[in-house]
Amino acid sequence: MFRYYLKLGTRSLRRNPFLTALMVLILGFGVGTSMTAYTVMHVLGGDPMPHKSSQLFVPQLDNGPLEGYTPGDDPDHQLSYIDTMNLLKDGKGKDRVAIYGLSPTIDSGRADLPPFFEPGLATTASFFRMFDVPFLHGNAWDEAADRDGAFVVVISRELSERLYGDTDPTGRSLRIDDRDYRVSGVIDHWRPVPKFYRILGGGGAISDAEDLFVPFRNAIAREWNNNGWTNCSGGRNEPGFAGFLKAECNWIQYWVELPDAAAVAEYRDYLSAYFAEQKKLGRMPRPENFALRNLREWLAFNEVVDSDTRLQTWIAFGFLLVCLVNVIGLLLAKFTARGGEIGVRRALGATRMEIVRQYLVETVVIGAIGGVVGLGLSYFGLAIVDKYGLGEAGIARMDVPLLAATVALAVVSAVLAGLLPTWRAAQVMPAMQLKSQ
Amino acid sequence: MEIKPILSTLMRNKTGVFVIAAQVALTLAIVANVFYIVRDRLAEANRPSGVDEDNTFMIGVGAYRPVVDPMADIARDLAGLRALPGVTHATLANQMPLAQSGNNSGVSVDRSQQQISTSVAFYEAADSLVDALGLKLVAGRDLAPSDVIEIQVGENSPEGPFPVVVTQALIDKVFPGETQPIGKLLYLGVGPNADELRIVGVVEALTTPWGRASWGLANRGDVSMIVPFRRATDSPLYIVRTEPGARAAAMKAAEALLVKPGNGRVLGANRSMTELRERRYRSDRFMVGLMGTMTGLLLVVTASGILGMASLWVNQRRKQIGVRRALGATRFDIVRYYLTENFIVTGIGIVVGIGLAFALNAMVASELGLERLPLAHLGIGVVLLWVIGQIAAYAPARRASLIAPATATRSV
Repeated sequence: MFRYYLKLGTRSLRRNPFLTALMVLILGFGVGTSMTAYTVMHVLGGDPMPHKSSQLFVPQLDNGPLEGYTPGDDPDHQLSYIDTMNLLKDGKGKDRVAIYGLSPTIDSGRADLPPFFEPGLATTASFFRMFDVPFLHGNAWDEAADRDGAFVVVISRELSERLYGDTDPTGRSLRIDDRDYRVSGVIDHWRPVPKFYRILGGGGAISDAEDLFVPFRNAIAREWNNNGWTNCSGGRNEPGFAGFLKAECNWIQYWVELPDAAAVAEYRDYLSAYFAEQKKLGRMPRPENFALRNLREWLAFNEVVDSDTRLQTWIAFGFLLVCLVNVIGLLLAKFTARGGEIGVRRALGATRMEIVRQYLVETVVIGAIGGVVGLGLSYFGLAIVDKYGLGEAGIARMDVPLLAATVALAVVSAVLAGLLPTWRAAQVMPAMQLKSQ
Repeated sequence: MEIKPILSTLMRNKTGVFVIAAQVALTLAIVANVFYIVRDRLAEANRPSGVDEDNTFMIGVGAYRPVVDPMADIARDLAGLRALPGVTHATLANQMPLAQSGNNSGVSVDRSQQQISTSVAFYEAADSLVDALGLKLVAGRDLAPSDVIEIQVGENSPEGPFPVVVTQALIDKVFPGETQPIGKLLYLGVGPNADELRIVGVVEALTTPWGRASWGLANRGDVSMIVPFRRATDSPLYIVRTEPGARAAAMKAAEALLVKPGNGRVLGANRSMTELRERRYRSDRFMVGLMGTMTGLLLVVTASGILGMASLWVNQRRKQIGVRRALGATRFDIVRYYLTENFIVTGIGIVVGIGLAFALNAMVASELGLERLPLAHLGIGVVLLWVIGQIAAYAPARRASLIAPATATRSV
């Protein structure tokens, strides 16, 4: 019977191709638009490190002055140099990393490649293991290099190919801001979305990873300024870079790895004790105020999925709703016009349930075709979003669950839209219809 | 008018009325809010910066070898830039309007304040920024060469007092209603040690490096001040203004002048003010395009729904229409009947839609930090939907009017 209904359905759809095309198109547009918007939100709101996101935490400490303090304010997003060095030295947690942005110059010495600026990071060797950074050649520098601030560098695959072609540059020397650095490794394509580890000052949630990485202490020794977000409080700094390091300026992003709830609780106690200790030393004039957020909480706190994206998604689903109501109207028109046919079937003994089944099959067919149209439109929409919205190809991509969800959304929408018209069709009185023939 | 028969017909066809009214209501709610958001974005993206945008650009350079005497290099660069064909003004500065990178500082108006009065975009310029950006001075005087304070590498900013030029927006914010702002004092930061700034001039507008910033600092986007600092640096930024039409050539010439093979220099950014604006508001314009497209589609879908339903009703009532025509109704009467019917059904949708629009607005407003939906926008949406409804219903109504009176007598 189902196959018969399927045949009836497709035939009926073919009988009125204009109306059918209109329904399929409207459904497709509604589904395509809402799935495009949803995919963007899904990608931006995704978890860049699903297996570890509950173990990576960002501590925040409020080192602001008493003036301007409002209870309930969140501490700054980044840490000062003083706090960073203290936290690194205390070594609490399973692993820890400090990060700040650089923009040094690279001089390849080649005539065909004049010196250029390259975005980089000052960090510790733990960066690569905490964030599972894949290596193409070589590896990260060692703990000794961290401690001594050695002149070593890890570079991206893109930079390596630009400078050295396809060869493995491990062990070669690279001139950065007029000093030689030994290349210890090359990382393979690595582009977490969203770029969680440096939400602030690094080009935003959708941006490339940096192209060179040098030991944190080396960058400090070279007096490289932060290329990113710096927030100072508490009056005039002492002069020079040394004065900047001593100031209550927050410019370093800090992560700590805490494997379980006990470690988190322990770390909170540590932060509380640290706050009290610094207070005794004359810093941290405000009442105790610190925060410890895991990766997902950190992304939410920084509103990676911004209000524009959320709004677009809401509006897109509103659009789908209008499309649905529209399809209800069109199906109503279509089914009503077939009162005579229904009357005959009913008079020949078909139950109401049979009529419902027949027309539901027809709406499922519409839904399935609408879903395919919707998929095509989503691909088109995502290509546009990639190109003009996110500025990079291949970011907004649908995975298999999303593909399935798109078709399912179309079919469910069609069936929902078909409920009322189908019910109305089943109410047709055979006698009335036959009489008016 | 035949309102009563129309109403009683509609009462017998509640499903159809519901389908059309629901579409109209949802469409109105979405369209009114989208109009509002789009207008807000476009207004922001086109907000005057106070800058002579067609004739200004910035060029920044860096050093890959240590610089011995940065001040001397800067003086030589500026002399070279000013000698380029078509260049009228050039200055060393720390940041550029709409370039999305720069400094903010908190200012207060009284030393006893605990909180800053506002955050201000802090422009440092060695020569006249008013000239280099083509700003309009509305009160007092521009900063003069004698005001300039030199800051060597590694030195801190000087302690006050020093003269500043501020924007009218800053005056409006910290001294509301003040008509004589010249000579007024501001303080950098808060507390007894805050540096004193004396206002010597006011410019009509000077947008911040961020335009309107989402994170609330200087959130109107034009609270700025200019301080007369010549800060030595090995990576200077220059702001250059040219004669009309000379900018593109001047940008090329400036790059060739500042960055030569082997001179130890790296080019940072060489961007025209036009490009900076485009980059700053690209995402907003994209949002406008996206929302505009969705609204357009939405209206098309709604119109097609109205058209479909009107056609259905006409088809169902062919006989009744024939009877009416046979009883003396003119073609115009029939068209008027269907247009009135559509007007009423759309009207029901609009009434519900107005309520929905305000509900949606309450959500959107808190999300985007917008004001309440202005009634004018709702009015535009209402008129638009009524017009679209009438247009969509016209074709079926006209078809109905062509039904021959003889239809009434056939196939009974």
